[in-house]
Amino acid sequence: MVSLFDSIHSLGDLVKLVTSIQLFLFFCLSDVSCNSVAQKIYVELNNTVPCVRLLNATHQIGCQSSISGDTGVIHVLESEADLEWPLSKGPNPPYMVLLESSLFTKSIMMKMKNASSRVAGVVVVQKTSPPEFSPHTTCPNENTGVYTETYDHNLAHCNTTVWNPRGNGLSYEEFDSPVFSLKEDNETEVIKQCYFDHNRVVNGSGLQYPLCAMQLFSHMHAVTDTATCMRRSSMDFSTSPVMVCDPLGGYNVCAFIRPYNSTAFGHKENESVVIAAARLDSRAFFLEDSTGAEGSVSGFVTLLAAAQALREATQEAPPTRNILFAFFHGEVFDYIGSSRMVYDMKNNMFVIDLDNVHSILEIGQVKTCISINVWTYKCMDIRSNNNESVTNLVKNLQSSTAGLNFSLVETDFSQPLPPSSFQRLLRARAIPGIVLADHQTDINNRYYESFYDNAAHLNLTYPSNLSPEEQLEFVTDTAKSLTEVATAVARALFKQAGGNNSQVNKINADPKTVTQMLYGFLVRSNNSWFQSSHQANALTYLVQYLLANLTGTATNLTQSQCKKPDELPNESTYLYSYLWVQGVVPPNSTQRESFCVRTAVRLVKAVSPAFDLGDYISKEYSTWTKSQWKFIKARIFLVASRDLEMLTLGVGVAVLFTSLLVTYFVRTKADVLFSSVREPNNAAY
Amino acid sequence: MNLERLPNEEKLTLCRKYYFGGFAFLPFLWLVNVVWFFKEAFVEPTYTEQLQIKTYVKRSGLGFLLWVAVLTTWITIFQHFRAEWGEVGDYLSFTIPLGIP
Repeated sequence: MVSLFDSIHSLGDLVKLVTSIQLFLFFCLSDVSCNSVAQKIYVELNNTVPCVRLLNATHQIGCQSSISGDTGVIHVLESEADLEWPLSKGPNPPYMVLLESSLFTKSIMMKMKNASSRVAGVVVVQKTSPPEFSPHTTCPNENTGVYTETYDHNLAHCNTTVWNPRGNGLSYEEFDSPVFSLKEDNETEVIKQCYFDHNRVVNGSGLQYPLCAMQLFSHMHAVTDTATCMRRSSMDFSTSPVMVCDPLGGYNVCAFIRPYNSTAFGHKENESVVIAAARLDSRAFFLEDSTGAEGSVSGFVTLLAAAQALREATQEAPPTRNILFAFFHGEVFDYIGSSRMVYDMKNNMFVIDLDNVHSILEIGQVKTCISINVWTYKCMDIRSNNNESVTNLVKNLQSSTAGLNFSLVETDFSQPLPPSSFQRLLRARAIPGIVLADHQTDINNRYYESFYDNAAHLNLTYPSNLSPEEQLEFVTDTAKSLTEVATAVARALFKQAGGNNSQVNKINADPKTVTQMLYGFLVRSNNSWFQSSHQANALTYLVQYLLANLTGTATNLTQSQCKKPDELPNESTYLYSYLWVQGVVPPNSTQRESFCVRTAVRLVKAVSPAFDLGDYISKEYSTWTKSQWKFIKARIFLVASRDLEMLTLGVGVAVLFTSLLVTYFVRTKADVLFSSVREPNNAAY
Repeated sequence: MNLERLPNEEKLTLCRKYYFGGFAFLPFLWLVNVVWFFKEAFVEPTYTEQLQIKTYVKRSGLGFLLWVAVLTTWITIFQHFRAEWGEVGDYLSFTIPLGIP
């Protein structure tokens, strides 16, 4: 009977407990601002860009945090001398150093790298641009170009011309602690406020706990080099194999003027192709922050404008040779895109092969220099290869600049080619070609491959009273000069492809297109013109859809027909690709006028051939991979002193042992303590 | 299981089973043998089967110590040098830690 009442009691308690849990969960899940303890402690930082780990055949570069995050007391660095506080003088290591972009220099970063026991991580806040900063190496892609020890070795390894003299190589250093980048916005204000409230150094003396601390999580899975991480990715002993790294790469965008059957690979009889090439990608120390305004955007925007300019002329009077517009991806990482195309051509995996290639015109960095006089635009330099038919190409280009506002200068023969996709093609076969660039000796870009190479560096200035839509349409001076270059390139390509000379002067690039593209790629990609082609953010797809829009023809197909055009009599997916374009919103309605465009633009996979061949220590091809990670986050919170933590732990342990002792004591003396209480119960039953 | 209620012959059989079982690469059986039969072998007053049990317990103890020595040496070497062995180290591992060599 005792037991029955006890069990009813405990059942009642159980029911009460269950209902209270249910109520708690109900309120918790339905109301977002649940009283979670974690939300009261941590402030999550959402707009962070981490520095990630990249690996190649021999090295690992980039940053790594520990698996449970790196915590450090926040210290805002004011100058280089202030580094003494986190490195030696500060009493509460480890520190999380917050610095502004002007202090993000190689010397400061290397000092912090050497003191990794006291510096838990670095956070860079992007504010003003320093006067010059290039984290890339001084000799970009030095081992994978055409100049090697065996071929022209006195031009190899930048012996004659150092292409990037300002380069400090910071992007290629290895850091043991996480490095994050933040923009200057509300979150940085919160951090600074927390720092001023709790961490400010008063008269160089010690600080009072609690202090403001930051924790960064960016644990990278891959380690050592590409061969190790690819081997570890492919071993699957356990039930769920973990992919440790991914090869870098993307897609090249290719378009022929006269498309070929895309399933027929290899040599095409009697076909001669002129390749017009440009580079799509760029990099920065923080991989996702790359903009590459002068380094790559200027080049491919010019080529896109030239492609548009050639559209009319090539459809009316098709030239004898075909023209291939090739936009290569991954060029900054040892020429991934161009080496892939050359490999495909050599192994009959592309629609043409190297014998079909007649010549190459590559557009490199083409931000034209600001003129001193109003009508005298300065130099376009040409790098040329030692071959007779190159002189024809140069003549075609020279004659194309007639009537335009810039002049062409051939650089001296003793100069090697700058880093360009043309070098990879030359490595396979001696094809005549030229590279257009705006520098005479070294690459005259103060922010080469850094995150300051943005619209401001390209001098894209808009009058202040314009709305975003008006800015989209405004033709800047940079756009005008790039348009001139695009016109010259288009005319030269037309002549090089054997087009009718009388048609040449009708070929003109459209400055409106150029300025819209520059605005879209460098200022704001969420504009009406980009959205009318494709609602994507990735650079490759934007370029693909733009090229399709600029060179393709609109058709009357419906959306379902656009997906499967083979069923229609006149359409063929062997020759063309069909893309559904969003279209513009007409002024009177809200629906977009979408349409199907038939275009010869194709995306070609651009992954280094080293991964197809399984040769992860290749010296011939790029072996760059990017590590994988589980999650990346950052948060700030207040941290207590070590003494307080130890005291709390000690008190807890003491309470545990005391309770154990008390329980043991009560148990042994149970008959003495409880005997008097039992008897009345026994008497009742 | 309480050994007090067992007759001596059954104790001997049990001890023998555990002793022979340990030869099948099962050192924990030897450890159990030592712990379980220690009192029987060395503390209890003498009985006929005790001598046999004593030898079994001693040999089990020796075998277990040998296993401990071998495993400790191998584990120390492996943990220390796995990263340097590169490919061989990876092929010998079942789970490879992420992010560290």
